[in-house]
Amino acid sequence: MNNKLLELAEWTIKTAKNAGADDCRVTINGERFVEISYRERKPENIKEASTKSLYIEIFKNGKYSGQTTSDLRKEALSNFISNAVRMTDLLAKDPYRSLPDKKYYGSIENIDLELYDEKIKSINPEDRHKLVQTIEDACLSVGGSKVISVEAGTYDSSFEMVMMTSNGFSGYQNGTVLYAYAGMTARDEGDRRPNGYDYALVMKKSELPNPIDIGRNAGKRTLDLFGGKKISSQKLPIIIENRVVPRILNGFISAMYGRSIQQKQSFLVDKKNQRIGSEKFTLIDDPFIKGSQGSKLFDNDGFASKKRIMIENGILKEYYIDWYYSRKMNCEPTTGSPSNIIIPKGNRSIEEIMRDLGKGILITDFIGGNSNSTTGDFSVGIIGKLFEKGELTQSISEMNIAGNYLEFCQKLIEVGNDPFIYSSQKTPSLVFNDVMISGV
Amino acid sequence: MSISRRSFLKTTATAMAGSAAIPIINNRFFKLRGADMQNYFEREFGISEALCQKALQVALSRGGDFADLYFEHTISNYVILEDGKVNRAYSEVSLGVGIRTVKGDQVGYGFTQELEKESILAAASTSATIANASNNNPNKEIIKLKLENYYPLKRLLTEIPLESKLPLVQGVNDKCFSLSPLVKKVNAGFADEQKRIMIVTSDGVLVEDLLPRSYLYVTVLAEKNGRRERSGWNIGGRRDFSFYTGNIINEISQKAVDRVLVLFEAVQPPAGEIPVVLGPGVTGILLHEAVGHGLEADFNRKKISTYSDMIGKKVAEPEVTIIDDGTNPELLGSINVDDEGTPGQKTILVDKGILSSYMHDKISARFYKVKPTGNGRRESYQHYVQPRMRNTYMLGGSASPEEVIKSVEKGIYVEDVSNGQVKIGEGDFAFYVSQGKMIENGKLTAPIKDINIMGNGPKMLANITMVGNDLQMYQGGGGACGKGGQSVPVGFGLPTVLVKSMTVGGVK
Repeated sequence: MNNKLLELAEWTIKTAKNAGADDCRVTINGERFVEISYRERKPENIKEASTKSLYIEIFKNGKYSGQTTSDLRKEALSNFISNAVRMTDLLAKDPYRSLPDKKYYGSIENIDLELYDEKIKSINPEDRHKLVQTIEDACLSVGGSKVISVEAGTYDSSFEMVMMTSNGFSGYQNGTVLYAYAGMTARDEGDRRPNGYDYALVMKKSELPNPIDIGRNAGKRTLDLFGGKKISSQKLPIIIENRVVPRILNGFISAMYGRSIQQKQSFLVDKKNQRIGSEKFTLIDDPFIKGSQGSKLFDNDGFASKKRIMIENGILKEYYIDWYYSRKMNCEPTTGSPSNIIIPKGNRSIEEIMRDLGKGILITDFIGGNSNSTTGDFSVGIIGKLFEKGELTQSISEMNIAGNYLEFCQKLIEVGNDPFIYSSQKTPSLVFNDVMISGV
Repeated sequence: MSISRRSFLKTTATAMAGSAAIPIINNRFFKLRGADMQNYFEREFGISEALCQKALQVALSRGGDFADLYFEHTISNYVILEDGKVNRAYSEVSLGVGIRTVKGDQVGYGFTQELEKESILAAASTSATIANASNNNPNKEIIKLKLENYYPLKRLLTEIPLESKLPLVQGVNDKCFSLSPLVKKVNAGFADEQKRIMIVTSDGVLVEDLLPRSYLYVTVLAEKNGRRERSGWNIGGRRDFSFYTGNIINEISQKAVDRVLVLFEAVQPPAGEIPVVLGPGVTGILLHEAVGHGLEADFNRKKISTYSDMIGKKVAEPEVTIIDDGTNPELLGSINVDDEGTPGQKTILVDKGILSSYMHDKISARFYKVKPTGNGRRESYQHYVQPRMRNTYMLGGSASPEEVIKSVEKGIYVEDVSNGQVKIGEGDFAFYVSQGKMIENGKLTAPIKDINIMGNGPKMLANITMVGNDLQMYQGGGGACGKGGQSVPVGFGLPTVLVKSMTVGGVK
């Protein structure tokens, strides 16, 4: 626990109240990070710095504003806070805006989420360069003469955060992150230069995979893109690879937010406790996974974290509703935003599933695209491989899938056994049948 | 911190609304630089030339070809209306200095949020670590660079009181509700940002700039027969606050409501390869993705762009000329100076079908032995410079827009685009069409929406077979481009253009 940050938070609350605020919430973040990248076996970029910021939300006479600054000198901060309080006074009253009722803070679980690792904080420059060199070498050796360019790098950071309110909430979290990656561009036939990458993001150093594998996978994933072309438009089963599932899922999740529901900008309005996907579609929000990026003991309102089943066997069970929108909608709050997203894994590997399906498309990346959270329509470019008789045959590019989430999620026929672990969205590969693929 | 009350020179800021045509060749040379612009960091934070010299010396203490300091003080504000009232406001103050040491194509970077001598020198020694040789010295003399001003202000944005912004946002809300009974929810807001920078380079240049940015936006949700649709509009750029008049309120509201109501009539276009006509204006995102990124010189220096062997070669029909420009008055991507001290300028990328230049920062310019083109940009003092676009557009051609549409028997017409992405090496790109129309027998027919269009940059360029005479520049204020984890404001423009064939991602 960092007493300096706590003291600053207390001082800020006191100063804001003296300046005329009825209530306030203060969040202070601090981070120290180092970022390095290599190309052609020498450092290309080295960057290192510390950052800090203070965010204060002011509640005054039913009015509300939020202000951020990086200038934490007390004199500057004092002026900043008085200005913020004065500005808040000019806004319209909002009867729903307040700090949460204290009873919702609950009691924060007394468990160690294992988000902080001294071994990441104490990485020295030599270890860091060695790690990146190992990744770069492994990537270069896979690419061989096909390589045009390889970039490898790491980002490591240690951070801490304090949140405090004038009605008695106080929370602290610290953590460390280590991110390691490689990307390769290689020379394909004609003028195409495919680029592929691999990465791992961990909060404990011991969970970093063998750096050689990161480099090799980046190389392999690049070579897998060779010969990409369009095939004819048709309906086929698709498998969305675990790591890219969030690109599709996030459009769905954005429609689950309290704001989307209250502002009617969601295709999930009035869909609670109704079927919104196939039996296979279950989605769990789990803030307590040890060493995972999305884990937390309290949320942005200060509510004690809770594990929640958001979607159960295709039935929508919960929305993400924070304190403010719960008041606007006159319902109970849950939590304002996702922690770790879990889709429970299935029994089979994607190889087994491909053998069973015969012909289809394995999607390994998306390009462009977007979704309309109001209607649920989406359309997105796909990159991946055609498989026939269970074997990967042709790389595909310049193709697209489109649909409406409510129909698309009904087409989910199987979940792979391979959740992607280097993200807060631990999604396995997902299998959908009868999807229109557009190409030639 | 005190804000000086002196005003800028008054100028005749052309308040152009919506997607209005902008004169491309425009030599508006403002003899600016009042006391307000100069010596800001010295006046407010005590940053002396001697301290800058010392920091540059430390940055070059282990060798390095050159170094620079980038001081930034940015104040941004954002007011939001929801459910009929302007009832929340956010603001942010960002202050710091980033220090860069360059050795060949290697970059060392440190930054600090504390503008004290010790912190600045510590950041400088962090940046120095990229080099590993005997020390180099910065130029002993510092010359202050004078700039043109492509976005003059009558008043500092930080001088505009909150009370003046509230009626704009409230006005948009009230206007939208008055335009149609189908309108059920309105979200509106006004955002402004005032960024002051000072760049000091080891080759002896000091330059200061003040970059304003603002926009008024609205999203409208409408309901009809139990169906809901949402759309919106925004107008802004590097604008003076006086730009936001009652006319702008009316225009934004009318546009947003028209755009949402048409969605109730939308049909699904066919999937597959068909001719695509791009309407003028915001569709310039196509150029940004399909051509622009691939011409950023870092991707070419590293040979990872599909365009890296194509300088001097024919890439398009002679009617196609593509420009990246920092000098368009008050547009979002305009810059008086780039973020490493090169003055704002205009760069012809494709000249009558021939690929003529990449977009350079200092590192790539040294590599290619050319002059930097003023494309060295960064998100903030926390980021190092990369070659980035400014306002990217295609010059108008000879055909009338009607002729372009008439030439297509069956295809789609793109009116509005919400985002795009490109794979630099393959040249494959995508952009998302939020609004458009079917073209049947040379006529615009049913509206379409929410489809992704895919293509390949070089193939698409070669496939542009007609260019309209109606170039329009995007007049929005919310556009930003992401690259390498950094976001910078950019603009774009396009005349009506026919692309022979692209992959349209429908469901039929």
